[in-house]
Amino acid sequence: MVPPDGKLEHDFEDESLAGPMDVPIKSIGLNGIQHDSISAIERTDCIMKTNFWRSLKIILFTAKINILVPFGPLAVLISYTTHDKGLVFLFSLLGIIPLAERLGFTTEQLVFFTGATAGGLLNATFGNATELIISVHALQSGMIRVVQQSLLGSILSNMLLVLGCAFFCGGIVFMNKDQVFDKANAIVNSGLLLMAVMGLLFPAVLHYTHTEVHYGKSEIALSRFSSCIMLVAYACYIAFQLKSSNDSYDPINEEGCENGGILEDEEGEAPEISKWEAIIWLAILTIWISVLSDYLVDAIEGASIAWNIPISFISVILLPIVGNAAEHASAIMFAMKDKLDISLGVAIGSSTQISMFGIPFCVVVGWIMGQPMDLNFQLFETATLFITVLVVAFMLQEGTSNYFKGLMLILCYLIVSASFFVHVDPSPANEGKKEP
Amino acid sequence: MIIIQMRPADEREGFAMEMETIASSSSPSTKIVSSELLHSRSLLNVAYSRIPWGILKGISKSIKVVIFSAKINILLPFGPLSIILHFLTKNHGLVFFFNLVGIIPLAERLGYATEQLATYTGHTVGGLLNATFGNATEMIIAIYALKSGMIRVVQQSLLGSILSNMLLVLGCAFFAGGVVHNKKDQFFNKAAAVVNSGLLLMAVMGLTFPAVLHFTRSEVHYGKSEVALSRFSSGVMLVAYASYLFFQLRSHQNSYHPISDEEGHIEDSDEDEPPELSQWESISWLAVLTLWISILSEYLVDVIEGASDALNLPLAFISVILLPIVGNAAEHASAIMFAMKDKLDISLGVAIGSSTQISMFVIPFTVVVGWVMGTQMDLNFQLFETATLFITVLVVAFMLQEGTANYFKGLMLILCYFIVAASFYFHTDPTESK
Repeated sequence: MVPPDGKLEHDFEDESLAGPMDVPIKSIGLNGIQHDSISAIERTDCIMKTNFWRSLKIILFTAKINILVPFGPLAVLISYTTHDKGLVFLFSLLGIIPLAERLGFTTEQLVFFTGATAGGLLNATFGNATELIISVHALQSGMIRVVQQSLLGSILSNMLLVLGCAFFCGGIVFMNKDQVFDKANAIVNSGLLLMAVMGLLFPAVLHYTHTEVHYGKSEIALSRFSSCIMLVAYACYIAFQLKSSNDSYDPINEEGCENGGILEDEEGEAPEISKWEAIIWLAILTIWISVLSDYLVDAIEGASIAWNIPISFISVILLPIVGNAAEHASAIMFAMKDKLDISLGVAIGSSTQISMFGIPFCVVVGWIMGQPMDLNFQLFETATLFITVLVVAFMLQEGTSNYFKGLMLILCYLIVSASFFVHVDPSPANEGKKEP
Repeated sequence: MIIIQMRPADEREGFAMEMETIASSSSPSTKIVSSELLHSRSLLNVAYSRIPWGILKGISKSIKVVIFSAKINILLPFGPLSIILHFLTKNHGLVFFFNLVGIIPLAERLGYATEQLATYTGHTVGGLLNATFGNATEMIIAIYALKSGMIRVVQQSLLGSILSNMLLVLGCAFFAGGVVHNKKDQFFNKAAAVVNSGLLLMAVMGLTFPAVLHFTRSEVHYGKSEVALSRFSSGVMLVAYASYLFFQLRSHQNSYHPISDEEGHIEDSDEDEPPELSQWESISWLAVLTLWISILSEYLVDVIEGASDALNLPLAFISVILLPIVGNAAEHASAIMFAMKDKLDISLGVAIGSSTQISMFVIPFTVVVGWVMGTQMDLNFQLFETATLFITVLVVAFMLQEGTANYFKGLMLILCYFIVAASFYFHTDPTESK
């Protein structure tokens, strides 16, 4: 979601999605909170007293977006009472939105406490946890096309829709000048995306030209090998990023506590929950998202029939838009504050993460599970990704943005979604059957 | 055809001045003579002045300006000649050839009339005028072909126009300019070139999806989805083009000036030159020329298939290579001339701007016109053509991104065009549609 060095501003933005209660807590810093925890000074873990009710309040009740939380349990209820798969699908989608956002929030909080390395890794792994969880559930049900298409759709929506909206809104607010962003970082990400396209292209073309050595088997073997290579590349990318941004990243530790001063990192941000609270909430939210994903994946085919929309449209367009809703909002907000580098990190960084980590990871998980998940995304999807990466890489290479570039990206996304609206898989036999 | 979409007013005046060298008008002396004539006539015979001699004089003066002062207009007689030939002989090849040659001067004069009209309207409307009528010739030919149901000809001729503008015209301009100024690299405005390249890539995207959808047989309703998608994409592309015009005209009026600002004093003196046609004359000439081109286009489209048989050339080659080269002849000459004068931004505007206009405006426009007419015109240009466009846009976008030009880049573009032309020489449609 957010690159290791870009995490700092996320809390500011959370204020607008979160409630008014965050403001007083931040301005007081930790001093006010330390009044509540009498024995805080005596504890070695003096950061703050682990207070279950307080953290529950912070996590659940201070974010405006959490009014959508009830949709989750509602979805589970409805799946047992009615046969309306469309409704179950819609409700579980809505229920996942706030959970994904809160998951991002707790990850940010945990990152305060870990070192630079672990923090970066955390962001890099959990950034797209929602998509990964949904994909793993779909893999378990054998719905390989859904996995491929939802991951593809996530990349496309991040690169075109989120980035386009960010450029557009930022350009509208700052109409008189072009906004600038860090060209070098954008180019590295474009390079990684192109490498991912290469990794996806070869299995597809191999299969399509019927030039494999062992029909059906070579392609999966190639996919698994390519996935490992892509994971290695991603690991090196993380190492490369962390090495170069090591200075601006100090974790919260006991030294700050002994000073008796305000427990903040360099930039004056305070974590809102303690380390163990963060870890526990991370676990709880992940489990909760898992449960909802299970129902979501179950309902996908029924929803496609009920709403009369191709399943590829649901997987490629609807799922990711909803899954990315919180990222979308934050990217737009940062662009309007002229912090375009962070928006870029959210949008393009997320695409890179999914293409170089999420997709190969799913292939490896499928390998372990015994599912024939491969990198052959079929010709249409691969061509779409190829063109999109080229267009976006081209737009980014200049290092400037204005509202027109944003508008172009958004309109490209409209064309892409229209294409998927009229697209069905030529070989529906690929759709796996659900294992009981 | 002629069009420099979005140049600020001073550039346009420079263009008008250049057009004179092709047109070689002798307007100042003509104006003085004619006004004296008018004066003497009205003094002599009051009754005669009731008859609209003034208007007749005006008409004959403007005819002189528009028709007789352009060297290129010696090609005019070929137009009526081709129509006569069409009724006399069955030699479609000859009719086709004469017709093409007859259209060249009309297209050039159409651009001239548009320029003249643009000097009267505001900056905004002038830009819009240029943007719409810039490729009027291609549009007219395309609509006639649509009416005859020759969808492949429409697609291929528009594609060919894009290719010839991007490769041939641009390449010749870079080459000629580079040869004349071979000590240094010429510069052009990178920002404008990058925006145009982005739009071209978006157009490629709009064209690729229907083609790939059809080719992988992965449409929901075979045959129908693709047309529906094309129509939707065309709408989106037209919206994008409109925003592009808006963006250029409103927000960035200042940042698209050419690099060579020391030419400013020449442009200033151009602004003092009065336009050669009055506003109403421009409008009427615009109408007359459009009508004339329409008539010739109709005969052109009629004989195209016969010409393909007579000349023993694939129909694809005629549509993609021959038609556009001829249709773009005047633009071609002016782009080269500007490059040799080190005004590379104007050449770029002519070449790449024209490509952008055709890909983001004319092609979607013909899809919409086809929709209204009830023909099945879509954005599926078949795989070979789409792949060609894709590769070409990539090559050109890459060449342009640096912001400099030299004769070698021009030579590379021209040689690429030869490769493309050769490919189409050996290309027949797997699905010849009438």
